[in-house]
Amino acid sequence: MLVTWKYRPRNTFIQRLDPRTRLLFFFCVIFGLTLPDIWDYRVILPLFAMSLTLYLLARIEWKDVKRVWLFIFVLVFMIVGLNALLSGRGGPASVTNTASPVVFEVLGIDVTIAKIWFALTQVVRMITMTLLAIPIPYTMDPNIYGTAFRKLGSSDKVSFTMDLAFRFLPTFARDFTITMDSQRARGYELEKVKGGIASRLRKLAPLIIPVVMQSTVTGEEVIDAMDLRAFGTNPRTWIKADDLRYKFADYIMLGLALILLVGGFVLRFGLGIGEFFIPDFFTNLFL
Amino acid sequence: MPEKPLVIDSLTFKYKTRPELALEDVSLELKQGELLLIAGSSGCGKTTLARCINGLIPRSYRGERSGKVLLHGREVADMPIPEMAQVVGTLLQDPERQIVASNVFNEIAFGPENLGLPRGEIISRVDQALSRLKLEYLRERETFNLSGGEKQKVALAGVLTMNPSILLLDEPLASLDPASAHEALEVFRSLADEGKTVILVEHRVEDAIEAKPDRLLYMEEGRIKYLGPITDLPKEIDHTQVKLPAPWVVRRVKAQGATVKEPPKPPVQERGDPLVVFEDVSFRYDSDLPFILENVNLKIFPGDLIAVLGPNGAGKSTLVKHAIGLLKPTSGRVLVEGQDTRKLSVAQIARTLGYVFQSPTHMLYAPTVQEELEFGPKNLAYDPMLIPKFVNESLSTVNLNGFAEYPPLGLSFGQQKRTTIAAVLAMRSKILIMDEPTAGQDFANYTHFMNTMCDVSEDAQSVLSANFAATLFITHDLDLAVTYANRALLFGDRRIIADGKPQDVLKDEELLLKYRVRPTSLLRLNLSLLPQTGRFLPAESLAAYAP
Repeated sequence: MLVTWKYRPRNTFIQRLDPRTRLLFFFCVIFGLTLPDIWDYRVILPLFAMSLTLYLLARIEWKDVKRVWLFIFVLVFMIVGLNALLSGRGGPASVTNTASPVVFEVLGIDVTIAKIWFALTQVVRMITMTLLAIPIPYTMDPNIYGTAFRKLGSSDKVSFTMDLAFRFLPTFARDFTITMDSQRARGYELEKVKGGIASRLRKLAPLIIPVVMQSTVTGEEVIDAMDLRAFGTNPRTWIKADDLRYKFADYIMLGLALILLVGGFVLRFGLGIGEFFIPDFFTNLFL
Repeated sequence: MPEKPLVIDSLTFKYKTRPELALEDVSLELKQGELLLIAGSSGCGKTTLARCINGLIPRSYRGERSGKVLLHGREVADMPIPEMAQVVGTLLQDPERQIVASNVFNEIAFGPENLGLPRGEIISRVDQALSRLKLEYLRERETFNLSGGEKQKVALAGVLTMNPSILLLDEPLASLDPASAHEALEVFRSLADEGKTVILVEHRVEDAIEAKPDRLLYMEEGRIKYLGPITDLPKEIDHTQVKLPAPWVVRRVKAQGATVKEPPKPPVQERGDPLVVFEDVSFRYDSDLPFILENVNLKIFPGDLIAVLGPNGAGKSTLVKHAIGLLKPTSGRVLVEGQDTRKLSVAQIARTLGYVFQSPTHMLYAPTVQEELEFGPKNLAYDPMLIPKFVNESLSTVNLNGFAEYPPLGLSFGQQKRTTIAAVLAMRSKILIMDEPTAGQDFANYTHFMNTMCDVSEDAQSVLSANFAATLFITHDLDLAVTYANRALLFGDRRIIADGKPQDVLKDEELLLKYRVRPTSLLRLNLSLLPQTGRFLPAESLAAYAP
């Protein structure tokens, strides 16, 4: 059985928005940033401020999301940030192509001013997107996931698949906890898993295999249960479809989303703003 | 619609992947409003028969089928799925497997939504189903937060909204506590009284007869062994294969004139120092969440074989997770062999206390049973020379000799369950804790398993007492406590309500009912014969004492 995220109803601006508005807004910002390849901090910082404001407006309790943020911080700072700092890859070519002054050296790798600025930009850019993504599962009614996608024009099957996919992650987390507990009761200690990557992966098998097996079984059960109740045989009625209506605030937010999406392209390709560049004040810090 | 909702004529089926016939020449007819109980042990063909009725055979399971299955005169194989789903509503064994939506309203509306019915019609059907099963209070609740009994009723409501004329209930009591099972059976009866044809597949005949079935169909090896009324124990039914009321078993044993040897009395052990001590233990997950345990005091002594009883969600699993150190008390302390669990890692405690989780699939991972059993001893850094000996002895103890090279995930559910116990046996822990050891196994299999583990012979200790200083198991099956335990714990309202010998704890019927433990015929018979027997005995052994 699939479980849901820790959703609770709150009378906030964010939760009063139509779920479709929130999904569309999220996708517009992501695409507005990534498709035109925006790396200019003057564009990213205002977007960051906007995302932070919307995040705070969602009024999510810190204790509900602290684990998720911990995971995100580890991912963004340790993996993405460090990779950007050392390799300079994963972004515009100008980071590695430009002859930027070397600030220091780590393990024989030159860390240039360009790489440092790129790492900072990358971290802020990713957190801007994360700030918009995290509130969605915590503040969107899980009963409306599928309906929202259906009303956005997806087919019945795609919409219900999205509904199930949203609930897959917390279910995976629950199964992982049970498996972790049962292996710990057999003396397994994750902190003692050492060695090279292959060896570590092998030693993680007692966790990975039962969780994957459980997920497969859950998937098959869901399919059987849906078949027995005639899913996919007729065009479906979505009972909550009429509950979704755009209101004034939705039109404002959708307008803003459109501006951000189109704006990203206009800035980059029309006005030539948005490319990666290192501001003088930052370069001067090291010279 | 024609008179007969279901007609099965000379039905024979063989799965593509198996050589033997799963069903052989099965014929039966059901009337509108009839409640048929189908019983038999694992592999008797009852699940295959159910699949033939709900159309999963031939759609999802391939094989050779001959004969007819007619629903209101139409061959099931020729009916399109949406039509099928409106004639036969299937309730699966585990409601968790059936529920797909995240809240109750959506779950119940799921079927009619798939049929593309108009919105008003769907809402009206959902409200009718909620009202019919008295579930209005659950309308907007999240499905994963419901109790086992509530989940079962919500799944049933989801089936009823398809308005089927036949209800096929596949072991619907398996995951319910006894009180919830009783409520479910009353609902099944009333649905039959309202004109639904109800097919109840259940190996726990004792429980199922509460639904007052009109007829019983008993199967063995794919054939019908008995089809008829269920007023008394028909001689065709093997009481070791399905769970029958204790007085029926006693009458059967007496009629056969068979003498069933009374199990030898277990040796009385001196109570040494306690192995595990709970001192005023309270626990909650977070400061803004309610307590799950409150001021629990408990001592587990050498020689204890404890059955923990109580309703779903009472905190039984939380209690035992404290003993292994997976959870630490919010206040109070838990001592394992005198040491506070706060100062010990789970791995350190695992040397003293082995914990078998309820579901084998959450634990089994290795390519072979041998490697699965080596996992624990290796983690605990036991002498590599001794590990093969531990593994072999454990395999032999749970009767899995010859399976060492098998992949655990390819074994049957019962064998997987025994593998998980062998995996803990191989760790040589002093205390064994099992969470619902019989869950998912049929009566014949779990009786065999528990007898193997607990039976004492004249010259040898039981497997449990030979390998463990103490054993504790959580169960919904009161008869396990009656038959096997030497100490019973009744748990409810976040604390221990009663603790003592089974004959003392289980004699207060009112108290048991308050905590959703329904007295069984075996308990009642044992209590009435207690002055003569002096202890609780299995039904067969009571024949020697019963008038």
